[in-house]
Amino acid sequence: MSKRIEADDVSAWFGAFKAVEGVSLTIEPKQVTALIGPSGCGKSTFIRTLNRMHEVTPGARMEGSVTLDDEDIYGPGVDATTVRRTIGMVFQRPNPFPTMSIRDNVAAGLRLNGVRKRATLDEVVERSLRGAGLWDEVKDRLGKAGAGLSGGQQQRLCIARAIAVEPEVLLMDEPCSALDPVSTLIIEDLISELKDRYTVVIVTHNMQQAARVSDVTAFFNLAGAGEPGRLVEVGDTPTIFTKPQDERTEAYITGRFG
Amino acid sequence: MVETRKQFHEELDELNADVVHLGALAAEAIHAGTDALLNADLGAVEQVVAADRVLDELTHSIEERTYLLMARQQPMAIDLRTLVSILRVIHEIERTGDLMVNVAKATRRLYPNPLEPRVRGLLDRMREQAAVQLGAAIDAFADRDPAKAASLPDMDDVMDDLQKDLFRAIFATHSTDEATIQRAVQVALVGRYFERMADHAVNVAERVAFMVTGQFRHEEPQAG
Ligand SMILES: Nc1ncnc2c1ncn2[C@@H]1O[C@H](COP(=O)(O)OP(=O)(O)OP(=O)(O)O)[C@@H](O)[C@H]1O
Ligand SMILES: [Mg+2]
Repeated sequence: MSKRIEADDVSAWFGAFKAVEGVSLTIEPKQVTALIGPSGCGKSTFIRTLNRMHEVTPGARMEGSVTLDDEDIYGPGVDATTVRRTIGMVFQRPNPFPTMSIRDNVAAGLRLNGVRKRATLDEVVERSLRGAGLWDEVKDRLGKAGAGLSGGQQQRLCIARAIAVEPEVLLMDEPCSALDPVSTLIIEDLISELKDRYTVVIVTHNMQQAARVSDVTAFFNLAGAGEPGRLVEVGDTPTIFTKPQDERTEAYITGRFG
Repeated sequence: MVETRKQFHEELDELNADVVHLGALAAEAIHAGTDALLNADLGAVEQVVAADRVLDELTHSIEERTYLLMARQQPMAIDLRTLVSILRVIHEIERTGDLMVNVAKATRRLYPNPLEPRVRGLLDRMREQAAVQLGAAIDAFADRDPAKAASLPDMDDVMDDLQKDLFRAIFATHSTDEATIQRAVQVALVGRYFERMADHAVNVAERVAFMVTGQFRHEEPQAG
């Protein structure tokens, strides 16, 4: 588990509009990489090219290459669904299957993979819920609907669902932006634990969150309206937040523009 | 692009200005305290002591506002380095103020006997040197100028030489009577205070270099 992602010269379009240009970034395993930058600079678009979610949008396409431990995820014969299972994603708004029970929410991906054995499913459900720091809170109501959980619990349920299929990489696009501060801190602790087993990429608008949870921070920026987003600077997180090299990074993280 | 943390940066600018003001108060203390000593002016000693309270209050006020900004704004990058540096810089300046109180108070111990002309001359030059170094360090802070900051160690050599000259001047009198030795000790201490002030200015400059570059001195590539 836990593989290296290498994005090489990645550009992405929505129709004729180029949203991301020429991003080359190596994402190391067993580390948390944070993507930061102003709204519209292409963070979500870029992260979605890393697990072939971008191409799901009609008219969207990308150029460049993305490899997972040297395997081209856009290579001929590579199945996009398999890629998405290997590189899991957690979204901004918790999106559990509302009518499904907590247990079935977590087991959904495994069932798709053809796992049927009750004992196996139960085991994975427990392990994933423990992994997501949710087990103690829900173990007595696994049969209840996922929609009945609090926002923070729902997000952890989504994380449990993502890790149940044992991905190599977890992509998180603003996983805490809909959560209260306590739930946010719980998820942040969880992210620190997850990195022992997964490669984690997190998009966040919260600079302090990036500073707290990540090992590496990548700053994306827009040269201007209508321009594509580009990677400006990437570095180890303490350096980015104490002495960034690029003045645009400095201006952004100190709030001199945003 | 919009400036998103206007209020914070205005407060930060205010703090920066207050640090410069604090430096100016310390520079005034250097001159007033030395004048008190050279003129054997006991009234002026009281004024130096009172002025130091103002300097202390401003130090505390800057320190408190720095902590508040850190807690409320969670500063990053240059802002973080600036606030951490301010905490260190004001401490150095505040120490300079205290040392000038010591210099001024030496006036009482030396009173009413005048200082020998050679010693007077040397103390006058040490005061100039201390003021020049403090001024350069504060300018470097105000202008965010690492080149200016880098000139401080060389300036400090001048102060070290003056201190040696002062000691030589003191020991040139071979008198062994109790009162003369007491006076010699007082003058030597005053020389030591000036030398310490100059060191504080060097420390301020070191902080400025860190603030601007983000490099700690021990991380800098060693020359040679
Ligand atoms: N489905 C879409 N169709 C057309 N344009 C899109 C689509 N999604 C995003 N874009 C555009 O692509 C650019 C990059 O958007 P993206 O969502 O990647 O930015 P972001 O950095 O994630 O912003 P935010 O921080 O606001 O989430 C923006 O100009 C956006 O308007
Ligand atoms: Mg986004």
